[in-house]
Amino acid sequence: MGSAYALDDALLFLNPAQAAMIDAFTAQIIPSEAGSPGAREAAVTSYIDRSLAGFMRDLQSVYRTGLRELADLVAGRYSVGFVQLSEEQQRDVVASLDQVSRADPSDFLGQFYRIVREHTVQGFFGDPAYGGNRGVVGWKLVGFPGAQWGYSPEQMRPGVDAKSIPILTVKDLYTRIGGTR
Amino acid sequence: MTDRYDAIIVGMGSAGGILAEQLTKAGAKVLGLEKGPDYTQDDFEIKHDELRYYQRGAIVAGVNVDPVTWRPDENARARVLPWSAGALGIDEPLYGLPSIGTGGGTLHWGCAAYRFREADFRMKSAIAERFGEQALPEGSTVADWPISYDDLEPYYEMVEHEQGISGRAGNVRGVLAEGTNPFDPPRRNDYPMPPITQGPGDVPFVEATKRLGMHPFRQPLALNSVEYKGRSACVNCGFCHGFPCHVKAKSTTQVTSVPEAKATGNLDLRSQSRVLRINRSADGREVRGVTYVDAHDVPHDVEAPIVILTAYALENVRLMLVSGINANGEVGQHFMTHNFGWFTSILPEATNPFIGTFNASSAIDDFTSERVPDNDLGVLWGSPIISVTGDLQPIEAYHNMDPRVPKFGLDLKHWMRDNYLHMHRMYSQTTNFPYRRHYCDLDPVVKDRWGQPALRITHDWEDHDADSVTLMGRYKELIAREMGAKSYWTDSPRPPYHLSTHDVGVHRMGEDPATSVTDIYGEVHECRGLYAIGGGQFVSYGGYNPNQTIQALAYFSSEQLLSQHGALGTFRRGVNAT
Repeated sequence: MGSAYALDDALLFLNPAQAAMIDAFTAQIIPSEAGSPGAREAAVTSYIDRSLAGFMRDLQSVYRTGLRELADLVAGRYSVGFVQLSEEQQRDVVASLDQVSRADPSDFLGQFYRIVREHTVQGFFGDPAYGGNRGVVGWKLVGFPGAQWGYSPEQMRPGVDAKSIPILTVKDLYTRIGGTR
Repeated sequence: MTDRYDAIIVGMGSAGGILAEQLTKAGAKVLGLEKGPDYTQDDFEIKHDELRYYQRGAIVAGVNVDPVTWRPDENARARVLPWSAGALGIDEPLYGLPSIGTGGGTLHWGCAAYRFREADFRMKSAIAERFGEQALPEGSTVADWPISYDDLEPYYEMVEHEQGISGRAGNVRGVLAEGTNPFDPPRRNDYPMPPITQGPGDVPFVEATKRLGMHPFRQPLALNSVEYKGRSACVNCGFCHGFPCHVKAKSTTQVTSVPEAKATGNLDLRSQSRVLRINRSADGREVRGVTYVDAHDVPHDVEAPIVILTAYALENVRLMLVSGINANGEVGQHFMTHNFGWFTSILPEATNPFIGTFNASSAIDDFTSERVPDNDLGVLWGSPIISVTGDLQPIEAYHNMDPRVPKFGLDLKHWMRDNYLHMHRMYSQTTNFPYRRHYCDLDPVVKDRWGQPALRITHDWEDHDADSVTLMGRYKELIAREMGAKSYWTDSPRPPYHLSTHDVGVHRMGEDPATSVTDIYGEVHECRGLYAIGGGQFVSYGGYNPNQTIQALAYFSSEQLLSQHGALGTFRRGVNAT
């Protein structure tokens, strides 16, 4: 069984059970490893929850329906909920949805999987202001320096180690600009 | 009560901003109607946010506001965009309409500022001369332009100097410069600024293409490499294509022409003001003005003897069609759009793809336009191959992932971890011939929130489009291998998008009123005083970005408007009024 979902943010759209399911599901899309945080540590669930309460409210119904149909699919196969499955079983479910989404683009659960996958990537690699990418773990993973005002001509040269550039968020940039005014 | 102006300009973007500047400086009293906001620099100071701008499209027209529908052919039912992104519209946010607000499409653009080549203006004749009269694909309506490169050359130069373009010309008055583009069309003067700082990922491209005997050159960009006209040089932030500029280095009419027009005191700019229809005389032969709704949805009638549509090719068409302007059936015909042929490589050395702008890079014209090599695929017109080095944030990188790698689990995570900093991209906007079967009209079902019909596109990729991507892909593959790419992959030759901000041709210009919509200055044949200016006037479409030619046409038309109406005294009233 995957790690338990820790409810440390107030939920704005999802209910706690839905949030736990999203948390387990997105953890299979970008998994955690020892010393290498994944979607769970990045708080992707908070990103999705906040987005559904705001910018993505048109997708509220898709999420409600998708989570219910996913629960039905899992119950039919394993007689328990997605959250209670082992890591391996959860991985198998996600892999089967990935397969379906490519084989039949009209399949609703396949579409739901693609939507959640997209939002997982957004929550993992977007600015932390949106509730995800906590501790800029997504940017650290790949070496993206984030919200930089600019780069010098020296930094534009080949051979510069991107991971040596201190990462900045949008909020950091506001702080820096405020300091120069 | 109605307001009267010398001219009304619909859309304060790429062409509209220039026309506003040129007319108001000559004393004309101009009403500028812009459906988006009148942006200030405060709006853009912190724009370093991939989610807000690139993924959620903060400055582009949303399809819930400006719906566009598409169908591959007349037997299919048209669907509302974003059909390019799958049924639920999540994957490809920028294959839609361009940004709106002051600056229009020049707010979001990647600044590629290519002139078309001499041969591009006589594509039909050049193909016939080389490949024979029967070589063009069945049903193609490609034609030679009614103007030549020489006609437009002075206006290209105006764009370069007035708007601010950086680069290094290959051919100034017939003299070829060492180390730049030997295939450049001739010009009278070099660019006013040197090229911008090169991105690190471009170095392997330049070295590889040189070893292959090709001729890489730094791209001309509407981006300041040095301070120019009081605007700052680019600071290489890497949030450029799809983003507004925080230091005014990007040459968008939001910071070039529109402020100049405002400074004359002759521009009445009304933002968040959406034109619903063009009003004409009872016999329909003369324009009278427009009806628009303001930000509170209150309708207004405004009058002027000249109305200039610069609202994007597709929106120009929609406005003409909803106003009943299409006597010869040509409005909306000859739709053309680019197929980009994206090709991604993983290079052995780091490319740091987040750094600098999209186009801080080089291109080759070895296979462009009439230079297309003889080939087994029947490709008749080539395109540049452009190296893309910067501007790649992680979410967009994920969209460009190797399609062979599973997009979930540790495969996804490790791929991003190991490859992001080594990604290099190339693209070639391949030639798109017009056909009768590719056109825009009004959707019979879908309407926007003001009750206006959506524009409907009927278009599909033809064999020549797909074969062009395949042919250019062979050269990209050669370059990728020479760069030592560890892996590489390419987009489908028949990609899912049919709309990309590079859509042109739909109000074709020509000398014959029976077979075209406007004259060479953009005046609509059937309605005196009505102009439709921009990419809609294009007669054929090679592989270069459209904007430089759109803006050259705007200067060209401005001059004609001033010589004609200035002399007639139409605009003098405006001078007296101020």
